[in-house]
Amino acid sequence: MMYAHYPNTICNNHNSEAWFCDLCGCSTSSGSFGYGTLSNTNFVGLRYIYQNFESKAGIFSNSPISKETFNTVQLWAQVPINDSFYVTANVPYQDLTRKFEGERENLNGLGDISAIGWYKIMFYKKKITDSTAIDYSLTKEPSGHSIQFGIGVKLPTGTFEERLADNVNPGFQVGTGSVDGVFSVGYNYGSDRIGVNTLFSYYLKGENKNNYQFGNQFSYSTNVYTVFSGEKMNVMPFLGLSGDVYNSIKQYDETLQDTDGSILNASLGSELAIDKFIFGANYSLPVSQSLFGDNVKSKQRFSVYVNFAL
Amino acid sequence: MKLLKYTFALLACAILTNCSTDNDDNEENLSGQSGDLILKFDNSVGDQDFIFGTTYSKSNSETFQLSNLKYIISNVRVTDNEGNTFYYPEEENVFIVSESNGNNAGEIYVTLNDVDAANYTQITFGIGIDQDRFALGADGQGDFLELASEEGMMWSWASGYKFVRFDGTFSTPSVTDEPLNVHMGSVGTSLDNYKEVTLNFPNTVLVREDSSPEVHIVADISKVFDGVMTANFADGYDQVHTDATETPIIATNIQSMFEVHHIHND
Repeated sequence: MMYAHYPNTICNNHNSEAWFCDLCGCSTSSGSFGYGTLSNTNFVGLRYIYQNFESKAGIFSNSPISKETFNTVQLWAQVPINDSFYVTANVPYQDLTRKFEGERENLNGLGDISAIGWYKIMFYKKKITDSTAIDYSLTKEPSGHSIQFGIGVKLPTGTFEERLADNVNPGFQVGTGSVDGVFSVGYNYGSDRIGVNTLFSYYLKGENKNNYQFGNQFSYSTNVYTVFSGEKMNVMPFLGLSGDVYNSIKQYDETLQDTDGSILNASLGSELAIDKFIFGANYSLPVSQSLFGDNVKSKQRFSVYVNFAL
Repeated sequence: MKLLKYTFALLACAILTNCSTDNDDNEENLSGQSGDLILKFDNSVGDQDFIFGTTYSKSNSETFQLSNLKYIISNVRVTDNEGNTFYYPEEENVFIVSESNGNNAGEIYVTLNDVDAANYTQITFGIGIDQDRFALGADGQGDFLELASEEGMMWSWASGYKFVRFDGTFSTPSVTDEPLNVHMGSVGTSLDNYKEVTLNFPNTVLVREDSSPEVHIVADISKVFDGVMTANFADGYDQVHTDATETPIIATNIQSMFEVHHIHND
């Protein structure tokens, strides 16, 4: 004979549709956030990212809402190796807060460090093929177009806490606990008046110690900017679209229901270049989203950065 | 330059091998291992979490609200991916699931201890008390008889257990806030309303010595009245006790109200 017992805690392991770690704090190194500056220059800098989410903490239409705020500060850089190769790296510090039924929970610490090696192909203007003329110029004139191929890795430097995986929102983690591969291809065009940056990235997710394997992810972003040149500064306002598509999460090699999704963001921002300093701001709002059985809603994200051109 | 290319290639290989899933733990030896299996019962009305005192609509323009919601679960067993069935020990295998014992999220936990470690794909349980258990007599019921009496889940011993108990009020277009009492059970040995339900798990439930999976079972209370058959208060289903016509209809409806929403392994 047994009595149905009743631990008076909020539901542990609350629901499968809440496994969305890679959407939130841990994802700020994602390609949809961009890896660098508009003009694709080499730099070292700091970026601050604010994101907030609302997620349904339960399986019913009247389940309570949990509000999550994610603050991220990143040390990021694009460092040249030679004319064709460069490396981008990102060291995030995460500060995450969740409010649920009057309770406030905070988590902070080093996040997942990522690094990507890039191979860049520059395109040059065609020379006029005139066999009678002798070309005296030694330097080729860049056309402004370039493409880049990147391969990188995201390391489990952020602590993945098992006790938090049992929480209402298991996405409340500073790291995914997995080694992930990143494969990117980008196209840039920049003239002294306008420019375009486009980037596609694919994330191959590894399995972490809890036998979770976050779904592979495809990220894309494109920005169009104009350049207003002044004597002492350049202002570069931009408009962009970015998005992520997530495959389902697997645990013990089985697909978990309602763990896939996609989001499309529109963004607006500007960079301001003064001497060697680049100041940037970016505000993004979701245009459409269908995340994890619609139990998670991205509200907005905002980032500011200051970079020092190398 | 060449060195960089090789470094690149090496990095790519490292990433690809790192991310591939290794299946080396498939040969796990589970014999002799056992663990806990937690059943979380969660009452709902349609897609709403059930809450005491909330007025819910049903068919026939009728509404109801409840202040008491209990049912008996028994004969729980789980079947693994090889077709083996683990029966929870019989004398322990009877539970009262009572909404008032729920946690903040309205979930009522039933913990099965020492379940054989295996990869389970299916659960079967009964609603109420079967004739075999009843035939054990009052002495054969162990402590459960006293618990059921305390919880108001008994008529007399002769009439037996109330399998479900829904108490509250109801309204129809012609009456308002009249008492609602649906107490369904078998009546002694003359009327057998014990039903079983078998549910598949959406993911494999891995019971291990060191991990206690949770099975989240949703019970949709709206099905009690609008299930396989419709039970209208205006037609006498506001007071259901031992009636030989009404109780089998409620029993059949209750059999269809359970669903495994999801499971957790960790």
